[in-house]
Amino acid sequence: MSKQPTEEKIRAHTFDGIQEYDKSLPNWWLFTLYATIVFAVAYWVYYQKADIGMTQEQELEAALAQVDEAVAKAKAEAGVLDNDTFAVMAKDAGIVSAGETVYKQTCASCHGQNLEGGIGLPLNDAEWKHGSEPLAMKKIVEEGVAAAGMPPWGPVLGDQKVNQVVAFLVSKQVK
Amino acid sequence: MSDQKLVIEYDDQTVRMFMMASIFWGIVGMLVGVIVAAQLNFHFLNFDTSWLTFGRLRPLHTNAVIFAFVGNMMFAGVYHSTQRLVKARTGSDLLSKIHFWGWQLIIVSAALTLPLGYTRGKEYAELIWPINIAVALIWVVFAINFFLTLAKRNEKSLYVAIWFYIATIVTVAMLYIVNHLSIPTSLLHSYPIFGGVQDALVQWWYGHNAVAFFLTTPILGIMYYYMPKAADRPVYSYRLSVVHFWSLVFIYIWAGPHHLLYTALPGWLQQLGMIFSLMLWAPSWGGMLNGLLTLRGAWDKLRTDPVLKFFAAGVTFYGMATFEGPLLSIRSVNALAHYTDWIIGHVHAGTLGWNGFMAAGLFYFLAPRLYNTKLYSVSWANMHFWLGLVGILLYVASMWVSGITQGLMLNNADEQGILAYPNFLETLQSIRPLMLTRVVGGALYLAGFILMAANIWMTVKSGKAVNGVCEVADTEEEGKKLGLIGAIVHPAFLYSAGLIVFSCVWLFGEGFVELIGMGLTIVVVMSCIVHFARSGDSFAAWYDKLIENSMPFTVLVLLSAAVGGVVQIVPLVNIDKASVAEDKIQQVYTPLELAGRDIYITEGCYNCHSQMVRPFVAEVKRYGEYSRLGESIYDHPYQWGSRRTGPDLARLGGKYNDDWHYDHMLDPRLTSPGSNMPNYPWLFEKMTDYGSLPSKINAQKMLGVPWPDWSPAEIDSAAKAQARAIKENLEARGKEVDQDAQIVALIAYLQQLGKSDAVVEEVASK
Repeated sequence: MSKQPTEEKIRAHTFDGIQEYDKSLPNWWLFTLYATIVFAVAYWVYYQKADIGMTQEQELEAALAQVDEAVAKAKAEAGVLDNDTFAVMAKDAGIVSAGETVYKQTCASCHGQNLEGGIGLPLNDAEWKHGSEPLAMKKIVEEGVAAAGMPPWGPVLGDQKVNQVVAFLVSKQVK
Repeated sequence: MSDQKLVIEYDDQTVRMFMMASIFWGIVGMLVGVIVAAQLNFHFLNFDTSWLTFGRLRPLHTNAVIFAFVGNMMFAGVYHSTQRLVKARTGSDLLSKIHFWGWQLIIVSAALTLPLGYTRGKEYAELIWPINIAVALIWVVFAINFFLTLAKRNEKSLYVAIWFYIATIVTVAMLYIVNHLSIPTSLLHSYPIFGGVQDALVQWWYGHNAVAFFLTTPILGIMYYYMPKAADRPVYSYRLSVVHFWSLVFIYIWAGPHHLLYTALPGWLQQLGMIFSLMLWAPSWGGMLNGLLTLRGAWDKLRTDPVLKFFAAGVTFYGMATFEGPLLSIRSVNALAHYTDWIIGHVHAGTLGWNGFMAAGLFYFLAPRLYNTKLYSVSWANMHFWLGLVGILLYVASMWVSGITQGLMLNNADEQGILAYPNFLETLQSIRPLMLTRVVGGALYLAGFILMAANIWMTVKSGKAVNGVCEVADTEEEGKKLGLIGAIVHPAFLYSAGLIVFSCVWLFGEGFVELIGMGLTIVVVMSCIVHFARSGDSFAAWYDKLIENSMPFTVLVLLSAAVGGVVQIVPLVNIDKASVAEDKIQQVYTPLELAGRDIYITEGCYNCHSQMVRPFVAEVKRYGEYSRLGESIYDHPYQWGSRRTGPDLARLGGKYNDDWHYDHMLDPRLTSPGSNMPNYPWLFEKMTDYGSLPSKINAQKMLGVPWPDWSPAEIDSAAKAQARAIKENLEARGKEVDQDAQIVALIAYLQQLGKSDAVVEEVASK
């Protein structure tokens, strides 16, 4: 081997010509190792020994409680949505076109691009199996119809988008 | 005793063959990788053909690059360097030949069975049981050959590279065997003996440590031999080698559960997975430091020597990936990254950057020496380097952006829990350009690799195969052997073992046991300090003696690698299934549903779909209630998944009607515009295999799944009755289908997903 600074300790034995220095471990490296070990013990004690940390189920429960609170508050502020409100919304071009977007993305693959039906029932005729009132329609969109394989869209879309899509349907409704 | 010189000729023919095999399978494996990457963006590339579909080709890609490319590369490096490090020819030429040809035969049979849909349905453990047995046998051949070589060595002491090879051999054997324990139901099919959460834990104990002990430790061994050789510099620090080797072997095993964060895996295991991953950071970087700092004084050679160029970049990628790993295992980071492309990017930083570049460096080093010539073209090698580097950067960067983008979109729920992107497909469209960039990056990398193959080929043609030789003194040196007892009955071992055992008692015990554990841990630490300070005993002297004795060394490696698995797996395997089910327990499948599930596994649906709703607001809103441990407890194999190219399916059952599934499997774009899922037309033509159901159900009963006591005739008629009902339902809606077609069984399974019974209080409290 070419140059060897004299102050560097080198091990006597070589393997197929390979030499090894015996340098001490870099301090920052040792610090990293010790720091992660200390953190690991502390983390374990926090969650397992002292039971201070929340379990993932408790975390979810807390988050869902906050969500429920926010939803309740928003509902109270929005006031009561009745069938008449939907009739008004169905005349608002902005809401209807927002509803149409939601419809195309979420509903059209089963109920047809032009509401003509397919995997799901048609929505462009006068027959409304689960009720023709806007609130009845809203209930179906939100909760689905398990027996018919219609998924509940309430949790996925949220209240606003559900209202928009119902307004869109009302605007297209054949009485 | 005499001072006669003996000339030893190394067996380099085996090395040459493994090298060629690695290059060949490397091209195959990476080509399949580019194809499957392209399929994700252009669904028509699945060609409506079962054996060309993503779900079947992706396992071929992963198995080929891991076991065929890196496997053969590792064997080339191990056979070449071990002979030289111990100054002895490989144990047995016959075993070398069996090893080589056996391994290639395994690869060929994998390449045939995987596209045909013969799979165990567990990632990187897909190969069917007869091939599993072959792998285990050939691995034993390799082990015997390796330890025979050590036995006839003319070098007293074992170099650090050999330590890593030993760790590889014993640990891979342990991992592979446990994760492949199965009960066969036919010549080509079996069920893993573990189910649900147990299977998940064992799978990632294996999966994570396949990365550790198949893709990392052997390559570190290769680094320790070839890096100082190529740089002509001493290894930076022997002491660092010792510390990072043992900490790596001990800690790595515990980190597997970080693949299962926020799943139904019990919290204590998740937390162990996370903290051990963090503790793994420094030991991993120890390897990187020893590699890079060995280059001190030789950095100028990087400009001219392609070997060092690849090694330096490879080790740097190793450092990057082993920093990213602990980062991703932090639970809050993982909440974002899990199931996304970030993980894919992380893996490829390791495989393309570390494995691929170390392989290239190794081959550029070996080829001229094995054929006594010069490398055909240094400029081609440089071109390879830059193509590869740009390829990796494009690949990894696009996957980072893709993963973070999709993760943020999917997890985005406002304070009222309203999803910003309720339509899963919207998030898919947003990452399409990134998936395309990944194809380009991967193709560039492959182009570089092919250039290397051409370069090596020209090099081989310009030279002639030669075997290395060395001279050793023919002396019988009778040093005092350190037996297993001698190695263990020594303060150095006893204190280390005591520390590990007592701290485990402290950390896992409760009440009085915990206190005793804590007390004993403190006593061990204090007396250890006092002992080594006062007595003349030295840790270093013991260790120097240990590395002259391969048997006790190997046993200690196996022991330290086994601890983590024992602590994590044994408690979970011994649980009473019904009592840990939380509040929901899975319904046992009907025969038809089981047949459908096996079709789901055959088609590799788990490669793109998870069955595990995590306890986050966004997931609960999108998919439904979070998944309980009990809901997959009877699943052999578990199907929790690891990547969501499509949405989670844990609660799919009953969400849509049968027509929807019919249309969706025929052409996913009929129901889900913009989807990148392949069409599955053959499911409508191929018939369900009812005949195998009795033996499958029988195997499951042996594994503890509470199937009723049915006769084969009852199983058959139950399956057919359910199939008829689904067919009639479909026909009533105008969908033509053969009652026995696979699609019917698959629909039965999909409609069952997420069906569970409430756990009654008395059962739960038992």
